[in-house]
Amino acid sequence: MEKHIVSQFDSDLEAIQAHILKMGGLVEMAISEAMRAFVQKDTELAQSVRAQDSAIDALEELINEDAARVIALRAPTAVDLRIILSVIKVSANLERIGDYAKNLAKRTGVLIQMNEIEDASNALRRLAREVELMLKDALDAYVQRDVALAEDIISRDNDVDQMYNGLFRQFITFMMEDPRNITGCMHLHFMAKNIERMGDHVTSIAEQVIFIVTGELPSEPRDKADETSSFKA
Amino acid sequence: MLDAAEKTPAVINPKIFARGLNVFYGKKQAVFDVDLDVIDRSVTSLIGPSGCGKSTFLRCLNRMNDTITSCSVNGSIIFDGQEIAEYDPVYLRSRIGMVFQKPNPFPKSIYDNVAYGPRIHGMVRNKGELDDLVEDALRKGAMWDEVKDRLDSVGTGLSGGQQQRLCIARAIATKPEVLLMDEPCSALDPIATAQIEELIHELRKNFCVIIVTHSMQQAARVSENTAFFHLGNLVEFGATQKIFTNPDDPRTESYITGRIG
Repeated sequence: MEKHIVSQFDSDLEAIQAHILKMGGLVEMAISEAMRAFVQKDTELAQSVRAQDSAIDALEELINEDAARVIALRAPTAVDLRIILSVIKVSANLERIGDYAKNLAKRTGVLIQMNEIEDASNALRRLAREVELMLKDALDAYVQRDVALAEDIISRDNDVDQMYNGLFRQFITFMMEDPRNITGCMHLHFMAKNIERMGDHVTSIAEQVIFIVTGELPSEPRDKADETSSFKA
Repeated sequence: MLDAAEKTPAVINPKIFARGLNVFYGKKQAVFDVDLDVIDRSVTSLIGPSGCGKSTFLRCLNRMNDTITSCSVNGSIIFDGQEIAEYDPVYLRSRIGMVFQKPNPFPKSIYDNVAYGPRIHGMVRNKGELDDLVEDALRKGAMWDEVKDRLDSVGTGLSGGQQQRLCIARAIATKPEVLLMDEPCSALDPIATAQIEELIHELRKNFCVIIVTHSMQQAARVSENTAFFHLGNLVEFGATQKIFTNPDDPRTESYITGRIG
């Protein structure tokens, strides 16, 4: 894109987007470390993921302040305005994902003290891995302004929803088989749900990429593949 | 001359519209083949960098360019269903009023400034009617309360913002249907600018207002429709909201985001 006549405007926009990427990096790390702590039963690592969430929150605040400043001082229009609107939304999405990662770490701390439930941890790890990849791609699409990649991410969220549905049924089965599994499965289910919600926020980031480039949010309503709210056990 | 079909406007009931308008200063062409429809009782702003032809276009609408000998115009401008070339220019300008960049009140009293047009056009029969007309114009110009006790003071003694509103009142006094404004706020401070913008907001109820402005924020604030001119071409014309949030043409985008001058 051409440069602004006022070069400081370009610096402002670049700085604010650099914060988004930094925040994205921290969130990716939070997911991956939360899952590593879960798999390796590493209480210390889980604790450190919880502690690092404040850095993510601080970046969101910084981004919002910078966005407000650019709006007040530079009165952005057209694509500049869309960039500013998008950083406000994307930072909120990343902050939520960070919170979910923190919640994964919190439940990991509880689960470590219980009996392991077979296969569940692997399935959960696959689900988290998929969301992590989606987030990485969403951040790439954001930087590259890549609409095709953003659309691909939006469609991949259906896979995440399907995987979550599978886990949901699996947990119900475990709980019916042995009531002693109930506490563990409840925690695992919350973790799965958190990861599924992360996918929704990643999708929203991908939608912002489309908004920046085209000026419009994708209009087609997505098929909701999470059917557990109407699931008959 | 264009045939009747080509003169058909693109929007329903435009107050004034141009088709295939070209303007030359000597051999240099300043405006290229412009088609533009202006809707009545709305504000249309013309934006673009210096020398883009927006003021030249505006001045064609009430044949101000007739006064420049080197200037030649071809194409068609239809006002109320009739070619403007077919109007008597003095009559045309009483129906299409103009306000300029620098406030230019006559060195006469406030009252006489406003009364000047109605007098020369023979619009009133007696002093009572003229008084009413002056009061009405000053009210529409949002300055009656400020000047009603000193209508005899000289118009050039007012502040810049008041002078500009006096010029708007003077333009309104002949009961025009279209008001052309060529950068009406560029010589004013922010408060006076806000007052003029508030006035423009009121004027849209009774007039078709066309404003040339260098302030894009002003165009965004006051107008329903915006036309972007660049190098003598009308690049994009549409709803102001669309132009400022998601314009179709990359040149419009570059200009409004401050990327080309």
